[in-house]
Amino acid sequence: MQETDMQQPFFNGGDEIVRAEGLRKTFTLSKKQRQLERTSITRKVAVDGLSFTAQRGEIYGLLGPNGAGKTTTLRMLSTLIKPDAGDAFVCGYSVCKQPHKVRDHIGFMTSELKLEGFFTPSYLFDFFGQMHGVERETLARRKRELFSRFGIDRFAEVKVKDLSTGMLQKVSLVISIVHDPDVVIFDEPTNGLDVLTAKVVTDFLLELKSMGKSILLSTHIFSLVEKLCDRVGIIIDGRMVADGTLDVVCGGMSLEERFFTVYHAVKGEIV
Amino acid sequence: MKLLALIKKEFRRFFGDPKLIIAMLLPGILIYVIYSLIGTATAESKHYDFKVYLQGTSQATELVEASVEQSGWTLEFIALEAGEEAQQAALAAVKEGKATAILSFSENFDGALGNEPLPAVRLEYDAGSEEGGAFAALLSAVLQTYEQNFTFTPLPFGEDEAVKNVMAGLLPFLIVVFVFSACMSVTLESVAGEKERGTLATILVTSARRSHIALGKVLPLSCVSLIGAASSFLGVMLSMPRLMGISMGAAVAGVGAVGYVLIFLLIVSFVPLIVGAIAVISTLSRSVKEASGYTGAAMIVMMLLSLAATFVSGLGGWVVAVPILNAVTGIQGVLSGSTVLWQCLVSVAVNLAYTALLVLLMARLLSSERVMFGK
Repeated sequence: MQETDMQQPFFNGGDEIVRAEGLRKTFTLSKKQRQLERTSITRKVAVDGLSFTAQRGEIYGLLGPNGAGKTTTLRMLSTLIKPDAGDAFVCGYSVCKQPHKVRDHIGFMTSELKLEGFFTPSYLFDFFGQMHGVERETLARRKRELFSRFGIDRFAEVKVKDLSTGMLQKVSLVISIVHDPDVVIFDEPTNGLDVLTAKVVTDFLLELKSMGKSILLSTHIFSLVEKLCDRVGIIIDGRMVADGTLDVVCGGMSLEERFFTVYHAVKGEIV
Repeated sequence: MKLLALIKKEFRRFFGDPKLIIAMLLPGILIYVIYSLIGTATAESKHYDFKVYLQGTSQATELVEASVEQSGWTLEFIALEAGEEAQQAALAAVKEGKATAILSFSENFDGALGNEPLPAVRLEYDAGSEEGGAFAALLSAVLQTYEQNFTFTPLPFGEDEAVKNVMAGLLPFLIVVFVFSACMSVTLESVAGEKERGTLATILVTSARRSHIALGKVLPLSCVSLIGAASSFLGVMLSMPRLMGISMGAAVAGVGAVGYVLIFLLIVSFVPLIVGAIAVISTLSRSVKEASGYTGAAMIVMMLLSLAATFVSGLGGWVVAVPILNAVTGIQGVLSGSTVLWQCLVSVAVNLAYTALLVLLMARLLSSERVMFGK
């Protein structure tokens, strides 16, 4: 059930920055996973024909319960995994056919991607800058600006393993945009963070938006979507069940009410 | 630029951590200390009953007898009659191990001390026998107490063969073990460790090519491993003479400069191959623990192969195409003087070709979502 279809021809007028077209991803379940999920099926559909469009300069939120397929979708968009079917385009580049080009234009942040504790923020910023092919002078300028803007400059030469959680999160965020990407992808940006660090992250996302960046995030927190997102897509069981601007998707309800209405309609019951 | 940044990062990680450097160099130092101690302890605990043919006379023989007695050993001098036949018989007895050495003093040795022409002492002994070596060392120590000038000519025979046999038998196996240990300690941490901690995935999100990431691991880790392997190798080479009770000069002369260059080349080609193999195992593993288990098993296989190559002779030319075996038999051949240059060079080329294949395989594995992100 796709209540609101906001799909438009890609790059018509230059407003669309990410477009997913019928993304599908299945995983083989191990014996242990089958036992845990009490199922006999060997393949699980994580994402099932997902399509959506994110606009330039906006924050798009993928909202859904755990296991809905949000992380898998973001991983496909960041080219870490390949879709079984369908394709997605980031800044006009195909995640299937031009993964290198896509990686040049995205910054990806997830709790699974870590920074090596032995190195300092300054060194890692330079290292990842070089990995993205950023010019030396540009890199130095961006380091100066970003470190100063996010208060990292005083900790630039402190080993990452010795940083506080909040500072580490800031460093990770700054490094993910070292190459000034057009699209920033965040998987559960505030998951597991204390209130102070979570605020650092949400402020950072708004800051990025004000800098003209396009942001794609996944979350299961309604308030985060309401606070940050211009558009939202609700995913349940790997399918996009609602997609559009926050106002259109909510249709006069709160996002939470709307989500559970949709969830009930799709699943039949709320456990 | 990206490859260079990856290589620099690995070097910085290693050389920025004194603990890692110490861990890499320590085996070599320990090997030297332990082997030297074993050699010294073995020499000290040995008992010798010297039986020496004596030609000519000197008061030095009394000093030698006193020194032997002080060590708790025994010495019997057998007067050697003049004549070629008696000389040959004595030499044969030494070669057969029935006597220790032939000691000759020039005529009127004590009276001629300090005068021209200089009086002379000559010692013929079998360098392959521990007893011969021990007597030569003892005599040399006694003669050093003389202040007057004279000439001392030790004439060891069979030394090269003795050295070569021991070195050829033991060293290839030890080299394989040390090289593998050195490669294992850095590669597991750098590849499996980074994968487990999620820092490798962070690099995968950048636009760096997978082949560059793989090469950016194997290349610097090989250099670092080479340092560890060289440390262990030096430890063995320096302690071997003490362990075997021979001189360093004899040990070096036994192999020769070209021999050492070939051994070095074989090790240089062997190290990246091992690093590549461990890097592939580490990429396939989900954790350092899992990778350690697989690598430990691989090490046992390698040790068995190197031992087999040590004891099985006449494996044939096909061995140069088989990694591990080619290095072991190559080093073994160099040490025993039987390997020709082309065999070593082909082995080096083969090892480097296998390394390239392993780098490509690792690059493919880095692209595999099942390997990198499979639960």
